Amino acid sequence: MNEKNIIAKLRYPSYYIPALAILILIFFPFLTNNEYIVQVGIMVLLFAVMGSGWNIIAGFGGQLSLGHAAFVGIGAYVSTLLFVYLDLTPWIGMLVGAVVSAIFGVIVGYPCFKLKGAYYALATIAYGELVRIFIQNTNQIGPIDLKGAQGILLPIKGHSWFWFQFDTKAPYYYIALVMMFLAILLCYKIKNSKFGYYLAAIGDNQDAAASLGVDSSRMKVYAAAISSFVMGIAGTFYAQFLLYIGPQSLLVDTFSTEIALVGIIGGAEVMGPIIGAFLLTPISEATRILLGGRFIGVHLVVYGAILMAVITYAPSGILPYLKKVYYKFLALLGDPQYQDYRTIKAPAKGLGGGIK
Amino acid sequence: MGTMTEATINGLFMGSLYGLIAVGLSLVFGVMKVVNFAHGSLLTICMYAVYYLVMKANWNSYLTPILVVPLLFIFGYVVQSKIINPVLKREFELGGGHAVILLTVGMMLVMENLCLLFFGAYYKVAQVPISSLTLNIGNIVISVPRMIAGIVSVILIFLLYAFLNKTDMGKAIRATGQDREAVRLMGINDFKIYNISFGICFIMLTLAAALMIPMYYVHPSAGKIFELRSFVIVVLGGLGSLNGAFLGGIIIGLIESVTAQFLSATTAEFLIFLVFILVLLLKPNGLLGKK
Repeated sequence: MNEKNIIAKLRYPSYYIPALAILILIFFPFLTNNEYIVQVGIMVLLFAVMGSGWNIIAGFGGQLSLGHAAFVGIGAYVSTLLFVYLDLTPWIGMLVGAVVSAIFGVIVGYPCFKLKGAYYALATIAYGELVRIFIQNTNQIGPIDLKGAQGILLPIKGHSWFWFQFDTKAPYYYIALVMMFLAILLCYKIKNSKFGYYLAAIGDNQDAAASLGVDSSRMKVYAAAISSFVMGIAGTFYAQFLLYIGPQSLLVDTFSTEIALVGIIGGAEVMGPIIGAFLLTPISEATRILLGGRFIGVHLVVYGAILMAVITYAPSGILPYLKKVYYKFLALLGDPQYQDYRTIKAPAKGLGGGIK
Repeated sequence: MGTMTEATINGLFMGSLYGLIAVGLSLVFGVMKVVNFAHGSLLTICMYAVYYLVMKANWNSYLTPILVVPLLFIFGYVVQSKIINPVLKREFELGGGHAVILLTVGMMLVMENLCLLFFGAYYKVAQVPISSLTLNIGNIVISVPRMIAGIVSVILIFLLYAFLNKTDMGKAIRATGQDREAVRLMGINDFKIYNISFGICFIMLTLAAALMIPMYYVHPSAGKIFELRSFVIVVLGGLGSLNGAFLGGIIIGLIESVTAQFLSATTAEFLIFLVFILVLLLKPNGLLGKK
């Protein structure tokens, strides 16, 4: 395994299988004529991005947040208002929204990070609710029309990259795909940096980390800023893609929970939320189209049941188990690196505590 | 002056009802050190049970506990022993993690959305003769079901308090909350105590539901409002403290009713969460919580 040449390495299963997966992802919009299936794909990628953002503070840092919808909402509202009132291109609005979202993340995060465990989770619910109640009941701030509970419909300003609006779904798909790869890259960089190790130490045992000189509240504030920045970016995409934002869809606690579930069920690793999104989001989209409006909560019953099963039987998420199966598969295909797959160990701890 | 008195009285009555709903949450936390995120959906289930008994079998709402309390006590006991205890056991052994919290989040999702599936997203109101009854004292108008709910809640909280302090079972429950390991050495089965505590939480919720049905609508997310209130209340009073839950209930009830009377219901809602965050940040152990 000393070849430098990546093409030569592609003869090993551990290289050509991921490459194949990436190729499928890239050509996915061409594989189907059904716009709805592409839409499901886009929602999967969006949830993968949001789950990854959530994972930075919750999975890596061990701070269970159940109010992350607030950051998505802030990003979406800021970029949408800039788009509607100042005709600003959503590409810049996206960055502005993400920065505002990150600032908000730091402001609410800083005092909350003194809280531990359940108290922190409760505080995140509280600030999520505060943002929702505020937007739901504010119709106007000065000259700006927030439209309160009604929500804002985004105007169509023309199908072009400049306005982030397209007449087909494929461009949205590719933007989301790039966002997902960037999110994976970001998480990978964090996970394998000194900062990532600090976060992992804090998540494991905050007092022990502090005694070894880790500035835990500073690390958590950094993590919160990065995490809410990602959420803000996802929020702009959400607004431009669905062309509607409102407190009842974007800021409710159920949305926060759905984001968190993607990460919890996947596992607290770089690929965890990605796997979580690919497993969960199709369920919600499928029930929505197959069963329609009458059975609006079905996918949440399934989500809840999966969460309970995962917490009971696989507290570190599904990823470690999938990995085992995947390694075994690679070994079966004859990859020399994975012949001793039985000795590759799953990580000891996730948000749900350790496995025996 | 009249409106102020009226708002205060309403606030006190609603506050003690909130207190009754919150004591279950506080008890479960005090004994198991678990914040039960499914508390609101448990209340929703209790409300549906009472509602159907009142509407389909023509029971008086205040008599429904005779049937519903034993049933839901058993339900709570089984849920705790079959679903929560295994995860709790693992968390005790390995430490850390948010496993039990996440488990209750899963339970909340399942129960709330099952209610949505089975009962539909309709607001159901049980119109019973007592619902519209009012009491006029001078220029103050008091709704009778609300008065009954307020007064009975105080009595029930007092009874629970007496149970925990005077009976052997109550003492065992409190001791388990203080030191699980020591209690085991005294020959008490701590996990059985958890089952019973969860059952008691259900009893309190059922009683609260019976008091609420004459004046409140039932909806799959009806419990959620009370759940968020309960979080505020128990944190305000001190997680794990029953007196604290009662005191917190009264404070939140007063804030809500007086603010809603003079400003608006939205301001009240906003203010409650603001108080919540301030308490969390400034005094996370609550007003009566132990350090």
